[in-house]
Amino acid sequence: MLVSLNWLRELVDIPVDIETFAKRLTDTGTEVEGIEEPVPLFRGALTAKVDTIEIHPSRQDLFVLGIDASGGRRAVCITAARNLREGDIVPWGPPGSILANGTEITTRDFEGVISEGMVLSAEEIGLPEIADEFGILRLDPGTPPGEDVRKALGLDDAILEISITPNRGDLLSMVGIAREVAAVFPEAALKPLAPVIPPRAESLEAFRGITLDDPDCPYYALGAIDNVQIKPSPVTARVRLLLSGMRPISNVVDATNLVMLLIGQPLHAFDSAGLPDSEITVRSARKGEMILTLDGKTRIFEEADLLITSGGKPIGLAGVMGGEESEISGSTSRVLLESANFQSIRISRTSRKLGLPSEAAYRFARFVDPFKVEPALAIAMDLMVSWGAGVFGGWIASGDPGCATRKVTLSSGLLEKIISTGDLDMATTILRRLGITTADTDPLKRVYEIPSARPDISIEEDLVEEVARIRGYDLIKPALPPVLHSTGDITDRMRAERAVRSTAMARGYSEVITYSFVSPASISALRFPDTDIRSRPVALSNPLSVDISVLRTTLIPGLVQAALKNIRSGWRGPIRMIETGMVFIGKGEEVEEILKMGGCVCPGMDTRSPWGEQAVDDLHSVASDVMAIFASRGKTLKLVPGSEPFGHSGKTARAIVDGYDTGYLLELKPEIESEFELPSAMYLFELDMEPLIRGGNAVFGEVRKYPPVYRDISLIAEEGVCASDILELIRGLAGPFLENVRLFDVYTGKGIPEGKRSLAFSLAYRDPEKTLRDEDVDRTHGRLRELLMEKGIKLR
Amino acid sequence: MGIIAEDVRRIRSVFESELASAGNLDEIQKIRVRFLGRKGEVTSLLKRLGALPPEERPEAGRVLNELRDSMEEDISRKESECEGKEVALRESGEWTDVTLPGRGRPWGAFHPVAQIAQEAIDIFASMGFSVAYGPEVEDDFHNFEGLNIPPHHPARDMQDTFYLENSLLLRTHTSPVEVRSMKKWGAPLRIIVPGKTFRRDSDQTHSPMFHQLEGLLVDENISLAHLMGCLEAFANRIFGRNLAARYRGSYFPFTEPSLEMDVECVVCSGKNPSCRICKGTGWLEISGLGMTHPNVLRAGGIDPTRYNGFAWGMGLDRIAMLKYGLNDLRVFFEGDLTFLNSTGGDR
Ligand SMILES: [Zn+2]
Repeated sequence: MLVSLNWLRELVDIPVDIETFAKRLTDTGTEVEGIEEPVPLFRGALTAKVDTIEIHPSRQDLFVLGIDASGGRRAVCITAARNLREGDIVPWGPPGSILANGTEITTRDFEGVISEGMVLSAEEIGLPEIADEFGILRLDPGTPPGEDVRKALGLDDAILEISITPNRGDLLSMVGIAREVAAVFPEAALKPLAPVIPPRAESLEAFRGITLDDPDCPYYALGAIDNVQIKPSPVTARVRLLLSGMRPISNVVDATNLVMLLIGQPLHAFDSAGLPDSEITVRSARKGEMILTLDGKTRIFEEADLLITSGGKPIGLAGVMGGEESEISGSTSRVLLESANFQSIRISRTSRKLGLPSEAAYRFARFVDPFKVEPALAIAMDLMVSWGAGVFGGWIASGDPGCATRKVTLSSGLLEKIISTGDLDMATTILRRLGITTADTDPLKRVYEIPSARPDISIEEDLVEEVARIRGYDLIKPALPPVLHSTGDITDRMRAERAVRSTAMARGYSEVITYSFVSPASISALRFPDTDIRSRPVALSNPLSVDISVLRTTLIPGLVQAALKNIRSGWRGPIRMIETGMVFIGKGEEVEEILKMGGCVCPGMDTRSPWGEQAVDDLHSVASDVMAIFASRGKTLKLVPGSEPFGHSGKTARAIVDGYDTGYLLELKPEIESEFELPSAMYLFELDMEPLIRGGNAVFGEVRKYPPVYRDISLIAEEGVCASDILELIRGLAGPFLENVRLFDVYTGKGIPEGKRSLAFSLAYRDPEKTLRDEDVDRTHGRLRELLMEKGIKLR
Repeated sequence: MGIIAEDVRRIRSVFESELASAGNLDEIQKIRVRFLGRKGEVTSLLKRLGALPPEERPEAGRVLNELRDSMEEDISRKESECEGKEVALRESGEWTDVTLPGRGRPWGAFHPVAQIAQEAIDIFASMGFSVAYGPEVEDDFHNFEGLNIPPHHPARDMQDTFYLENSLLLRTHTSPVEVRSMKKWGAPLRIIVPGKTFRRDSDQTHSPMFHQLEGLLVDENISLAHLMGCLEAFANRIFGRNLAARYRGSYFPFTEPSLEMDVECVVCSGKNPSCRICKGTGWLEISGLGMTHPNVLRAGGIDPTRYNGFAWGMGLDRIAMLKYGLNDLRVFFEGDLTFLNSTGGDR
């Protein structure tokens, strides 16, 4: 909200400088986000009276003005504007003064006539919105000549931009802010605003009455202004509106808006002639009812919307916006002025649903005090009459504003517990400044009367907050909580995530965090069949863009996108990325979240290194990384041949941990690789974090007393037979002394038949009880060779 | 005896001249074998001791042992001399370029937000807070209603929400885990909730996905002072020095009273009016906090007449930006390696 400091000063003393003022308001919860001087460059202009107007001797399109800036100061000014009359008061920029756009005004020769400065338009002052006609800005009659224009127009002001929290609807008005200021600064006295409310009439002339057919409108008042003359409002009123962030429109509309800004009660002016009947009924909408609102849009309603109707037809959307048919126009002769109270949630709902955030709806959604209905109406009608907009035609009302106060108790104990002081006298002093009073003086517990303007204060804790924030939070001395019931646990999940992070980082991976939402295309690019649940991601109902419109069912799209982005922006080296995070699987009404670990590795475009090709990543180096991560949590990961829709059919592995399929490691399908225009192969893995969370215990071996004996075995395998299968076979056949088997060579080429591979293993034999003799090992190893040959394996 | 003495002199003299002319370890080894080996000259003399008259044997034995010991000593000395020379020769003839890049993969890189989360969790764990988790896809009750934000409440405007079908939504804050944890564990309770949160917002300082760290403490007789104590201890640890803190009134539907915490600008300490980080104010907003609203305790099944507590929420991304001096939040989630892996040597 924009708050004019000048206007605020009319309502309350401001006893400190503006910076201190802004800081203390901010500290107490009313954040001053900015302070601005209106049209700061505009300087040096004076008000002046136009004494004479003559046509320029040689230029028919120019006028020579004789102006009087009082105090004997007279000048001649040339203007092309045609809207001036003798006697008008205008802003005059003498030579040396400065326009809003920073231009310095000089003396100018117009074909022999010297113009001493210039008379100014609203635009030159920097306020084009207040212009009501083409030409020079004519100031309000009665403005004394010779005054600084900044002062005369109320531009000698500071505009505070204040952010009001949603619980403080009472601060969406000048009087509300003034009340708060008086509470924050004990030395600041409120200047009372007590409008004289003329007595309510029994009826309005030529108007049948008001019917309230919905409890969400408890109180509705309607005033009449007759013999209406629609004109611009006074210039100073227009400036004030503009500085408060609203556009001036006409005397009637400006009066309603000024009053809303002043006391927070939204008002609506109907052109009486635009009402279908001489009555108003407030009721719920019927489904399908329509209205053309003031912003020129057709609105269709549901039962939940609250309408102002006349003769059975909607004429306005209660608390949100009026209809176009009854809009004030130049021909309006009778204004019916609505001042009513509507229930917050009801208005909030309609305004949010229709996307209609009007100033009125904004205030109603944050609660408007029903006791403002009458004063707002009185002030607005008074203002209209005083501006000559029309004559007072009486007012009527229906309903009841309810209770003016309600009671909330505050105990010394709770105050002490929360803000470390239980001083109820101190509390009472602060609360009184907020307009909250008390009758009794019990030392331990006090009952306070909360005014209806403060619906946010309903429980004891609310009172504690009021006391604490006005007293100042900085008076509380920080201390650690005294009792520790248990130690803090980072949990196994966090330990698992940390193991993944630190192991992967140490192996050269960069940790990434990608969006949990991805594009549908990035998922379909992975070619999941319809039967795969990953093909059907859960969609956002209101995404920001299609690129982030569905929840990821796998970490792969985010990782691939990140890798592509790096490649496309010129990254030439290897890419190793790892991410841990949730994937989301839709299961009927529910969404299952599964914690995964995923990675993406590309050897990169430039793999040259002083160490040659050994540094280049491939499926097997990545396998080692994944195994290391699982080993860091005491888990052994086994790879077996497998498949994934987006995996290379010959280079895809399933990962088995604790006997269960835990995920995959693969090279991206060449078809997709070329679709992405990748410069090299891409390796991807994605595994469940669950086994890592369950794991965590390091596994240690037994210390052996006797040395091992090593033997090698070398054999020829059909291509496609996995080394791990042969290794398992050896394990199964080698007898009890086999301690370990390690594959140390894979060879194809010269000496090996086409379509076959030579595999060589190193076997470690050990007897835990004694030193094995060579001859014992030879016998065992020989037996193994025989058994392998019996299985049809060709040894070398 | 005479013969022995003579032999000793002779052997000694030959040994000395041979050893002096030995140039490398191999030659020295040959000399050792020739004189002191199993069939060496000194060894043969020792074998002849038995042939001497018994009264001469002790003296002769002593002389021979002395001879052997002194020869051993001379050989050892000569050996180490030689060795030193050879090692020196090897060192002076060899060189490697120590500035070559290290072999094997360079270190990767932690993500700044994950790193800050880890540090923050450790700090709060040291104050007795345990990590708690909750779903990222939430229902309206836990994200809003249970936190004292009824439907159509204007406070919902504070958080623009992503909705899914079936009245599910992406959590807009980590606060829903408060109610879930209270229901699960009851009081007393100390939890922190690190995690992803989502709001329909995107600019330089807002990302549709970001990270929060929520905290909740429920116990008997808990005060604002305790909340301030915990958060100031945290701020001082995470930024590595004691920072001034200040508190301002604020509003959150789920706390009462509600506050904002600012700490002294970590970059300029308020001394630079044109500081980019604090915009010259000298203060940085780091957390929203307050005493847990009794309605929220009730929603979590905790009796607010016996227990009270406090809660806070802070943006981990923001703290990472402040700590590492970064100014665009969105780059956090693009996986840009020039940003993430600026220390890696792998470009
Ligand atoms: Zn700073």
